[in-house]
Amino acid sequence: MSCTVIAFGELHGIFAWLHELPVSIGLPDSVQAVVMYAALGVTVFSVLSLFALFLVWWERKIAAHIQQRFGPMRVGWHGWYQTVMDALKLLQKEDIRIETRDKVVFFWAPVVCFVAAFLAYVVMPFGKGLIVADLNIGILYIMAVTTFTVIALLMAGWGSNNKYALLGGMRSAAQVVSYEIPMVVSLLTIIIYVGSLSMVDIVESQSGWFFNWFIFRVPFGPIAFVTYIIAAIAEANRTPFDIPEAEQELVAGYNIEYSGMKFAMFFLAEFVNMFTVSAIAATVFLGGWNGPFLPSWVWFMGKTLTVVLLLMLVRWTYPRLRVDQLMEFAWKFLVPVTFANLILAGVLKYLGYWE
Amino acid sequence: MTKEELKDKVLNLSQGMLTYSDSGVFDLMFEVKPENLTKAAVLLRDHEELRFDFMNNITGVDTGEHFEVVYSLASLSNKTRLDFKVVLPYEGAKLESLCEVWKAANWHEREIWELYGIDFTGHPNLTRFLLPDDWDQGHPMRKDWDAPDFVRMPEL
Amino acid sequence: MAELRTEEFQVNMGPHHPSTHGVCRLVLTMDGEKVVAVEPVIGYLHRAIEKICENRTYPQCSPMMDRFEYVTAMSSDYVYALAVEKLAQLEVPERAEYLRVIMLELNRIASHLIFWGVTAMDIGAYTPFLYGLREREDIIDLFEMTCGQRLTYNYIRIGGVSRDIPKEFEPKCRAFIKKLRGKFSDYEGLLNENPIWLARTKGIGVLTPETAISYGASGPVLRASGIDYDLRRDDPYSIYDKFDFAIPTQKTGDCYDRFIQRLDEMKESLKIIEQALDGLPEGEIKAKVKPKFKPPEGEVYSRIESARGEMGAYVRSDGTTKPVRVKLRGSSYNHLALVPEICTDVLIADLVAIFATLDIIMPEVDR
Repeated sequence: MSCTVIAFGELHGIFAWLHELPVSIGLPDSVQAVVMYAALGVTVFSVLSLFALFLVWWERKIAAHIQQRFGPMRVGWHGWYQTVMDALKLLQKEDIRIETRDKVVFFWAPVVCFVAAFLAYVVMPFGKGLIVADLNIGILYIMAVTTFTVIALLMAGWGSNNKYALLGGMRSAAQVVSYEIPMVVSLLTIIIYVGSLSMVDIVESQSGWFFNWFIFRVPFGPIAFVTYIIAAIAEANRTPFDIPEAEQELVAGYNIEYSGMKFAMFFLAEFVNMFTVSAIAATVFLGGWNGPFLPSWVWFMGKTLTVVLLLMLVRWTYPRLRVDQLMEFAWKFLVPVTFANLILAGVLKYLGYWE
Repeated sequence: MTKEELKDKVLNLSQGMLTYSDSGVFDLMFEVKPENLTKAAVLLRDHEELRFDFMNNITGVDTGEHFEVVYSLASLSNKTRLDFKVVLPYEGAKLESLCEVWKAANWHEREIWELYGIDFTGHPNLTRFLLPDDWDQGHPMRKDWDAPDFVRMPEL
Repeated sequence: MAELRTEEFQVNMGPHHPSTHGVCRLVLTMDGEKVVAVEPVIGYLHRAIEKICENRTYPQCSPMMDRFEYVTAMSSDYVYALAVEKLAQLEVPERAEYLRVIMLELNRIASHLIFWGVTAMDIGAYTPFLYGLREREDIIDLFEMTCGQRLTYNYIRIGGVSRDIPKEFEPKCRAFIKKLRGKFSDYEGLLNENPIWLARTKGIGVLTPETAISYGASGPVLRASGIDYDLRRDDPYSIYDKFDFAIPTQKTGDCYDRFIQRLDEMKESLKIIEQALDGLPEGEIKAKVKPKFKPPEGEVYSRIESARGEMGAYVRSDGTTKPVRVKLRGSSYNHLALVPEICTDVLIADLVAIFATLDIIMPEVDR
């Protein structure tokens, strides 16, 4: 990973240091890779966990201000460490386990959900050189591991032995499987253009000013972006597509029987998922870390948080779709549109539009 | 239509099924014999000059001497209103159900069955309703009903 | 292809469920997402108000009425007071009647604002709930200023009202009317044209006029089904015949119409309040009612148009200080009986929408 121009405030040094850490402290060759990835993993995990806590607070503040309230105000300045306290409270809570649960499935569901949410960050380019592993199948890998979440939700729905939870689990399975298709197809248009699945390649091909971002640069970019965002909202189980946990219908959906830290794991995983889909949108459509003057990770975070803000505004403005309307929308509208867009991209590629 | 006109009309059309009762203070009050109930109800609902298509309310009353069931009706098209009542003895209080005439009667009758113990023949679903499912202390709206822990308000 | 074996299952929606508006239990028989049959189970909020009233004097009963329907407690106060006044043929001072109308209409708006927010929340839009409560807060402040209470007012008493309005009431009330008029564009802009909202409410839970009448549906639910019937005009009580207001109606009787109906009604209520404030006369606010108040023998059924529909009180007197029977008729009672009729073969999400737009509140059902 060579960086020619190093802007002030770049953090890639930390990652480089972590990469070389096992060698520098003289560990044997056999464990070097393990220790290196463990160190990187712990770093990314802790930063992201803090970020998820921040997102919870931020969402509450945004919701509050949309609704002309203040939101959390008591714990720190404008309640900034409210969610930390909430997490601490949830940690101390009794872990209620109902008698009729499926013991194994009930226990592992939050774990799978939590792990699946974080797996995507292995290939996420947070900034120039800030990537754990630049896999050559990067985006395919992300698509594969984020779908694990649905298995966790099904497990939670089944393991709880509760009809609301089961309905929630079934809904989320149907929804995520349906919206996976438009989501992947929207991303495919860009992959056709770039010719690589690697996240770093995708970002680097958008270097330069904002008109090099794929949302502006290619004719199918805006459509792909919009369809991706719609599918992403559904993937992240957020209003107007939050039917798996639709409070007014299923009380809490799949996590109805969970309490304490297990519930917190679902909750945090949801916010991490939201961050994931936004980060993918920022990376693939909005130029990732590319941007002038500021350090690359600031650009990446800024773009991601802008998308997150968009998702939050949508959530607190729109009503919820019904389950059949949701499916209809996916299969009768979103899938045809994304495929038409994909064909457009393919034709343009064949005609050599951008060579 | 004034009240007097309506009263005359009802008395004429019903051919003795409905008799006038002066206990109603504000609206017209009629009295019906239990055996004529359904016939009178259908007449009140279907006759084109009466058209009492709207069932406001059914009230069970325990006067201390007998039961009364008071039906309050309204006509949406003629904008008129009347009540009629059925007097029932304590022993074996039984009435025909009016669920078929006005569907609104269903829940009201179920409630009276539960709270007063008046039986409604032909009612589709006379089951526990306002009271707990395992209630076994009789019919609480009767005047002679006293719960073990019931304390009466002192007389003023 | 072999037929898949399917099985219906039962879900207990309630007694504690976010969208049952109180403690109502709906036993749903479901086929996957589809609701095949609904069986409402009520009585979780039964406080035996009617039985308690039989052991109290007439004036003592009136605080119980606030608990009968606490979302529009003014209406339930009034319907009982009206019944007893009819029994005793009491003359109520004119100023008291004006104050009653102002309070009743303000309370109707407060109730519709809650309806507006809660319906939106039940269909998944959280924000309107807070907007609705924000404006309701102003009304509650007006009530608090007048009678010191924010929910159970006990303001409308037999023979009049409990106390006069303070000096600041009128300017504050007028300011509120002006403010609320300005907010309607917000309300309409938020949901009325939203495609998701239309998809969720248009054509859902259609209540035909025949079914509505047969089940005794009243108020906004009846008018949303296209029947032009409002007790304030068609069976005028108090001084409603002095005011000039329209009765809005809708056509199809689906969830969307019931939703729009209440928005329209709020505007008409504002007109009534304005006229009542303009014509508010000076004078007494309460007829003389002795504590040992004894209305003559007789029975009466009084009915008014509350925010949810027809609210009635049957009061029977035997000439003593205590009523023989007080029966309260809440419109939610009849509307809840409608739910099994119009909620077959709908999705669970539609059931929630129908339940919300019928505007059922449980204290009125269970009493």
